[in-house]
Amino acid sequence: MTDAEQEIVLLSLRVALLAVGASLAPGIGIGWLLARWRHPLRPLLQGLVMLPLVLPPVVTGYLLLFALGRSRPLGEAWHALTGGRIAFTTGACVIAAAVVGFPLLVEAIRISMLAVDPRLEQVSRSLGRGPFHTFFRVTLPLSLPGVAAGAVLSFARALGEFGATIVLAGNVAGETRTIPIAVYTLLNVRGGEAAAVRLVLVSVLLALGALLVSFWLSTREPRS
Amino acid sequence: MRHGANGALEIEVGIRHRLGDFVLDVELATDGPVLGVFGASGSGKTTLLHAIAGLIRPDAARIVIEGRELCARPGGVWQPPERRHLALVTQDALLFPHRDVRGNLVFAPGARDRLASDDGRRILEVLRIEALLDRGVRDLSGGERQRVALARALLASPRALLLDEPTSALDAELSRDVLGLLRQVKQELGIPMVFVTHRAAELLALADDCLVLEGGRGVAQGPPIEVLRRPRALGTASLAGVDNLLRLPVSSQDPEGGVTILDLGAGASLRVPLHEAGAEGRLDVGFYADDVLLFLERPRGMSARNALDCVVRSVEGVGPEVLVGLRVGARDIHARVTAAAADELSLRAGLPLVAVVKTAAIHVLGER
Repeated sequence: MTDAEQEIVLLSLRVALLAVGASLAPGIGIGWLLARWRHPLRPLLQGLVMLPLVLPPVVTGYLLLFALGRSRPLGEAWHALTGGRIAFTTGACVIAAAVVGFPLLVEAIRISMLAVDPRLEQVSRSLGRGPFHTFFRVTLPLSLPGVAAGAVLSFARALGEFGATIVLAGNVAGETRTIPIAVYTLLNVRGGEAAAVRLVLVSVLLALGALLVSFWLSTREPRS
Repeated sequence: MRHGANGALEIEVGIRHRLGDFVLDVELATDGPVLGVFGASGSGKTTLLHAIAGLIRPDAARIVIEGRELCARPGGVWQPPERRHLALVTQDALLFPHRDVRGNLVFAPGARDRLASDDGRRILEVLRIEALLDRGVRDLSGGERQRVALARALLASPRALLLDEPTSALDAELSRDVLGLLRQVKQELGIPMVFVTHRAAELLALADDCLVLEGGRGVAQGPPIEVLRRPRALGTASLAGVDNLLRLPVSSQDPEGGVTILDLGAGASLRVPLHEAGAEGRLDVGFYADDVLLFLERPRGMSARNALDCVVRSVEGVGPEVLVGLRVGARDIHARVTAAAADELSLRAGLPLVAVVKTAAIHVLGER
């Protein structure tokens, strides 16, 4: 691999890690809401969270651009706050990857929290522990394998993100050119095929590794 | 510990709560210290206990424990479960699977310090936990799990324990063991309890006051032995297991043999676990109808101490089982056998039989 290719792989890894890192806390919160919240609005929330899974990624990217573009309220607020922009930066790659990987993360967390016996939470409350302590000492530890599996899965999804990224972040070498975008670019260049194949290989290995880790995690029981 | 020195538990409860077609509608006032809530499954026992614990929000309720209002709905006070200091122990021990025994015991606020204190050591001793401390909870037996759950609840230093059928997931022998521990907890640690059960013998062994629930309503309240003797309550009891409740004069004590001998009248006697006689020289005892074995002839070479000559008075089919009324001495008792066994013995009124009851199967309830 050339230095340029290594840089592309490192950028991809960094984007995917940041995307998962940023979605972990909200993913746990929403996963818990979807597992435990009894409210007529819950299906709507679930639908919104799942939407990026079924929307064409290009559409997701367009919607994000629509919300975060320079002339939009959110983009403007960001500009006023930092003097920078969101679209067409590494940050945009992270946002696109996070949004597209979010349903996988939330669904894994939701399912593992559903499997936690709510009576354990009741016992915790009756032993004098409030809802926060109960969540962090009972619910979360018991659903940790699912949280980890979901994180790995959404990490793998983030590595492969193309459609939303190309719309929201474009194709800026060294800044937004992740593995899939680089492969697409190389395939359109005469003589780029060898480099494309090397990146494809790395891509396959990373994805397979992540899947194996996620399978292993989801079959593990919480420590005892 | 937080409860009063005399171990009394003043509870005032008024609850109305609708769950689909089911309505729980209970008014209750008691001094405890152990309140038994008795009823068949579906009578609303667990719902009542959960309302007291604060695990459900009843449509309308006023719950006062020791003068402190925990709940006044709609529109009034709402204390969440963690502020009520009422520790719940359920049928499945519900130990936290990601923590070992010690991790479970120190879960409640302050439990870590309490575990190291004299109170804590006393709890571990009574419940025989020391040897289990560093074990994982997955490989504990059913009885061990229930002991750990009890210790965990006690180490939360609750005002009272809320017990939801704590023995019904255990076999007969283990449930007697846990019941014995609960009596010890009551007597030696002086913790008040609200105790939900569908077994009359447990009620008799543990409760001072008793509420009988039927279809979500309280149908009787009072000392267990009186409540269970009322015909209406016995209607409830027959759903869950008719039990033999007897108040008998003590004829002699045999400390070496570990038995107290009670007079059944007409020359018959009943050997029960050694117990001091009550004020009038009487004892209340109870045993399950399932624990009475029937023989056509007097068996030989038998460990059970009670082989009682008796005569069948009634044979009544209840589903796949048969309830047999027996005259022993001057008293009536019941035995429960399968329909097949009743056929094989050709059970009919007037048939002479020998009824065998293990001494250890008889609960001495003291004289109240």
